Amino acid sequence: MQNSQQTARVGLFFILGVALIWVTFETLSGGKVFKDQGYNIVAGFTSLKELKTGDEVRMAGVKIGEVEKTRLAGRRAEALLRISPDVKIKADATATIVMAGLIGTNYISIDLGTDAAAELRDGAEIRTATTPDLNAVMSQIGELGKKIEGALGNLGGALSGDGKSPGIIQKVDQLVTENRENIAQTTGNLRSITDKMNRGEGTLGKLINDPVLYTDLQSALGEIRGGAAEAKTFIANAQSILDEVKRGKGAIGALVYDQKAADDLKASIANFRTVSDNLAKGKGTLGQLLNDDTLIRDTRAIMRKADRALDGLDDAGPLTAVGVVANGLF
Amino acid sequence: MRTLTRVLEGIGSTLQLLVRSLSHVPTLPRQWGRFIEQCYLIGYTTLPIVAILSFFIGSVLALQSGYSMENFGAKQFIGSLVGLSIARELGPVMCAILLAGRVGSAIAAELASMKVYQEIDALETMNIPPARILVLPRLAAVLVMMPVLAIIANLVGWFGGAIVAKYTDFIAIDPPAYFAALRRFMEFKDVLNGLIKAEVFGFAVVLVSCNIGLNTRGGPREIGASVTRAVVTSLILILVLDYFVTKALL
Repeated sequence: MQNSQQTARVGLFFILGVALIWVTFETLSGGKVFKDQGYNIVAGFTSLKELKTGDEVRMAGVKIGEVEKTRLAGRRAEALLRISPDVKIKADATATIVMAGLIGTNYISIDLGTDAAAELRDGAEIRTATTPDLNAVMSQIGELGKKIEGALGNLGGALSGDGKSPGIIQKVDQLVTENRENIAQTTGNLRSITDKMNRGEGTLGKLINDPVLYTDLQSALGEIRGGAAEAKTFIANAQSILDEVKRGKGAIGALVYDQKAADDLKASIANFRTVSDNLAKGKGTLGQLLNDDTLIRDTRAIMRKADRALDGLDDAGPLTAVGVVANGLF
Repeated sequence: MRTLTRVLEGIGSTLQLLVRSLSHVPTLPRQWGRFIEQCYLIGYTTLPIVAILSFFIGSVLALQSGYSMENFGAKQFIGSLVGLSIARELGPVMCAILLAGRVGSAIAAELASMKVYQEIDALETMNIPPARILVLPRLAAVLVMMPVLAIIANLVGWFGGAIVAKYTDFIAIDPPAYFAALRRFMEFKDVLNGLIKAEVFGFAVVLVSCNIGLNTRGGPREIGASVTRAVVTSLILILVLDYFVTKALL
């Protein structure tokens, strides 16, 4: 009896141990014993980075499943995701690998997608997007650092020279050294000029130091300002005249904008031209008066005759005056 | 020089005993009763002390790591730390040390007294090799029981850590978060490594204890000396083997 009891205890103990090992194995290796069935979706990436079996799958931060398996499929890496059966993933949702901490914990984040899209079924593939990982960012920062270093090196080289050709600072130094006398002279001149200006000598000095000049300048400016105001008024008047003209008011307005007035003017000019042509050709009374000198000669002869008749009238007395005039005329 | 000779002598005799025992493996089914008895002594009766020790090892580990990791905001990784430490290192080593103290000493005492009181000689006279009926069942029993003890030590240790993590004010991590962290950084490979280590340690402890017990010479006083020697040698062997097995399994 004692012996069989011992055997039973050992057997029980052993079975307990084996069961515990099995439970541990199932729990740590992603077995399905304690999980609901759910469904699988496939997410393909160029690199799974630090993602490993058992990592979480989250939608909007809520855990909805986990990575069941990671595998290489041709030229890409695939993660098989186990999703809870009560969570529906839309076909336009996108999966990304997100880093949860600096020590290499990752999870897959799936966005909500749109309501209108269909739902992903078991075995379907979800759209994925690649996020830059820490290493990429670090290498970019490194490259940036190199560029800045290069730029600063170039600047330093330009300033201090590269051993063969002198840099800017050396060139400036050389320039200053070579032209020391000229610079001293120039600064001396500048100093004497500024001294003179300070003392109020010369035009600039007076401008700076003499209050009269300032007053004159002030009044001149006032006059210029008045002239400008008048010019402004003049321009305003001209503008108002132009506006009137544009509206067709006044003679010029009528001339410019009234077709009838323009036509009348054209006709008048044409008439005037005809008259002047006739005058030039000697047509009509005025034409003849202008072009034919016989009229003036006749007029002169009449005047002479009248003169003589008047002389005769003086002699014959007033009573015969009418007879003399009539005689002289006919 | 004399010490070195004794060490080499010990290694040699242990290996000889191992070879002799393995040569009797085919007789194992006929020794079922002895095998079960040894399983009971090595496994079942050792379980309580293993469980108590593992529980408090896990608790202290959680407490200490919580105290130190709080300083740099890594409290959520307590589960990972406790889990990995116990599964890979502390579980197997503590099991083996307890085995050396409780079972190794008992084996050495039993075999040493049998040797001192000439029972071993009597067996040999009857053409019954001591390696067959005294050593082989113990080796077989420890091989079967050690993984069981180690996995219980692991689980109890993990639970001890979880309880302390929840009920300590400055840690206050709920068991689901604790076990999620534990699972995140652990694979079954880690547990398996621990079980293999436990197996190696247990086997070495029992073999060395048997050898020291069987090689006892002199009077009853030597029984105590043999027990002390068996326990000390086992402890040293556990820690030396620990390094090499860990290195080999990494």
